[in-house]
Amino acid sequence: MLEVIEVSKNFGGLQALDCVKLHLEENRIYGLIGPNGAGKTTLFNLITGLLPVSGGSIQFQGQELTSLHPHQITRLGIARTFQNIRLFPTMTVLENVLVAQNIHTRSGITSIFEFKAQGDKRLRGEAETLLQQMGLWQKRKEIGSSLAYGEQRRLEIARALALEPSLLLLDEPAAGMNEAETEELLDRIQEIRNAGKTIFLIEHDMSVVMGICHYIYVLNFGKLIAQGTPEKIQANEAVIEAYLGREEA
Amino acid sequence: MLGSTYSLIAMGYTLVLGVLQMLNIAHGDVFMFGAFLGLTLAFLGMPLYWAILLAMLGAGIISILVERFCFRPLRKAHFLGPLLSTIAFGILLQNVATQIWGSEPSRYPQTTEIAQFQLGPILISSFHIIILATSLFLMIVIDQFVKRTRMGRAMRATSENQTNASLLGVDIFRVFTFTFFASGALAGVAGVLTALVYLQITPFIGIRQGLIGMVAMVIGGLGNLRGAMIGGIMIGVMEVMNDAYFSAGYRDMIIFGIFFLFLMFKPEGLFGTTERQS
Amino acid sequence: MSVYLEGVLALMGINILMALSVYAILTTDQLSLGNAGFMAIGAYVSSYLTVKSGVPLLPAILVAALASSIVGLLIGIPALRVKGIYLVMATLGFGEMVRTFFMNFEPTGGAYGFRGPSGATLPLIYGWVLVTIFLFWLLTRSRLGRSLDAVRDDPEVASTVGLHVTLLKIGVFGLGAFIAGVAGALYAHYMFYIESNNFNFLVSAMAVLFVILGGMQTFWGAVVGAIIFSILPEALRFMKDWRLSLYGAVLVSMMIFRPSGILTRETVRNLGERFTGIFRTTRS
Repeated sequence: MLEVIEVSKNFGGLQALDCVKLHLEENRIYGLIGPNGAGKTTLFNLITGLLPVSGGSIQFQGQELTSLHPHQITRLGIARTFQNIRLFPTMTVLENVLVAQNIHTRSGITSIFEFKAQGDKRLRGEAETLLQQMGLWQKRKEIGSSLAYGEQRRLEIARALALEPSLLLLDEPAAGMNEAETEELLDRIQEIRNAGKTIFLIEHDMSVVMGICHYIYVLNFGKLIAQGTPEKIQANEAVIEAYLGREEA
Repeated sequence: MLGSTYSLIAMGYTLVLGVLQMLNIAHGDVFMFGAFLGLTLAFLGMPLYWAILLAMLGAGIISILVERFCFRPLRKAHFLGPLLSTIAFGILLQNVATQIWGSEPSRYPQTTEIAQFQLGPILISSFHIIILATSLFLMIVIDQFVKRTRMGRAMRATSENQTNASLLGVDIFRVFTFTFFASGALAGVAGVLTALVYLQITPFIGIRQGLIGMVAMVIGGLGNLRGAMIGGIMIGVMEVMNDAYFSAGYRDMIIFGIFFLFLMFKPEGLFGTTERQS
Repeated sequence: MSVYLEGVLALMGINILMALSVYAILTTDQLSLGNAGFMAIGAYVSSYLTVKSGVPLLPAILVAALASSIVGLLIGIPALRVKGIYLVMATLGFGEMVRTFFMNFEPTGGAYGFRGPSGATLPLIYGWVLVTIFLFWLLTRSRLGRSLDAVRDDPEVASTVGLHVTLLKIGVFGLGAFIAGVAGALYAHYMFYIESNNFNFLVSAMAVLFVILGGMQTFWGAVVGAIIFSILPEALRFMKDWRLSLYGAVLVSMMIFRPSGILTRETVRNLGERFTGIFRTTRS
């Protein structure tokens, strides 16, 4: 479904990514791990079009992504969350989700005249379902930033799901979570996958990665140093060195 | 030539923009106040250089008021807060000036003999020489001041990073005050000098002159003192050329057109260094 | 109604429109200090049409506002590349360009101004004001309004939730210019005479101040700001000579003591709870 072909990215003199090759198949959960600064979030930024590639190509279901704008890429079916949770600060919980649904309806100038649009009812129902699933429906009228950390994360995921993507990119979704919350998160990710979606997640929490990923890619200094199933990765020399080496330094 | 007065105004803008990352829209009206202070002093019989000096002082003090009312209270707010406040303050200054001196043009007294001579199609008077000389002198003074003195270093440190400067022992509030004072003083001088050329001033001359000064600053490169100097002189030259060879009417439109184009396509100006993030 | 009162109300109506034109662009976090330029285009184009070409008033206003909005869209495009203070200065420069252009443009009178446009009555002006307010109200409650909020909050994230940020940012320039164009056309046809200095930087600046002081978080702030600060100079008449200075002092004090403006989102929400329905800003 997603092909990352020989993708490179440099910022001036800094080579953030170097000839990275990835292959994602439908309805699987993929992990992207590596020490800090390895280029993981940069890769997400390239896939979602927030940054241009310096070389290589990215194809999603046959479509070339590197020449598209972020909103076009989103409309093709790719959604993401951010490492440092970026909700819309002045909008309520419900509004954060509703605005993500704008891509499913006419939301241009004509929308200001629509009060009881047909599509609107269905969308509101979907929004409610999503928020109920995330346990946020009660707080729907509160401003996003007033929520607890874990709730904010769930809201960001709900917002991404509202886009009805086929590929979901999660950037460190378990960061800052305790054990109980992490368990819940794992369950939710499984649910999302069971609903037919493909998931690609960046994580540092190994219990999450090894726990639910079918296949893992490992980056270090912008290069792909290993890939494989969790078992293979855990035993991989290069990976262990990359992490241990980092701890020593 | 008036170009050098534009330079002075532009330098004033640059000082505040560089050190405090803020656009002081009241600057043009401080300039206007300087002109009026000079006028009042001249009418009281004071000789030219004393009038300039005291007008400088007065304008500097008013500029400090801008700092106190528009910048200090809003420092932590949205970055546009101080800017918008200076718009209001500028209006206040215009209204006060109208109150004191009336909105009708006021005539500047002719105090000194003017010698005039022709240079090509351009008429130069001894006033122009005085203006040029005074402006150049002040430009050099400010330039050297920022480079060599303690306060100058403090200003540069503050412009880089206020928090760090403060941690290194710089009294950033004194730096703010001084920067505004210097900025205002420059504007004040420019005000008197400009008034000597135009001989008639109204409380609203600050609007145009302030804007032209802003253009000079942008052309020279935001945050760059020398660029501001050069920008001002370039505009002055351009004005004269335009009036001599082209159409005097469209002169301002051309200036603002250049302003617009620079901002869109070359915002770092001719000599700009790093772009100051708002 | 006395002529004096009518004049005050007429200008207040124009000010409301100008404030809304600034607000429209501000919805995407772009501050335009040059809306007087759009106002001028509306004024001169409509005046030319009615006076020199005999076009009836209403179509003339629409055509003029359309012309203004096209220029607005054109400005919106390069505006994308400039941020913050640069954008403020660029719009300022634009406003001055337009003003100095009309100061020299002979077909519309140049420095002598343009005499003759007439026909704008108080009801007409407020008709436009009410229609515009109504449209903003609709906008606030619509999906488009929600998109604009998202763009203002975080344009990068907005693009990742599928919003065409570029189009929205340019579009609001067109919208703001349209409204300012209407304001200009109405102004011209009320005053019987316009000259380029009627559209100077001060006009742009006051429009911005109306929005900021009234409260930039909702469009009601722009309306209230325009109303209060249009009336204030008149209300201060008892101060006689010093009233304008006092006016300036009030402006500065407001910025110090209540920089978020008179109406914040909170205030409007609370007021809205009381007048259920009409003033609500949330769409949920």
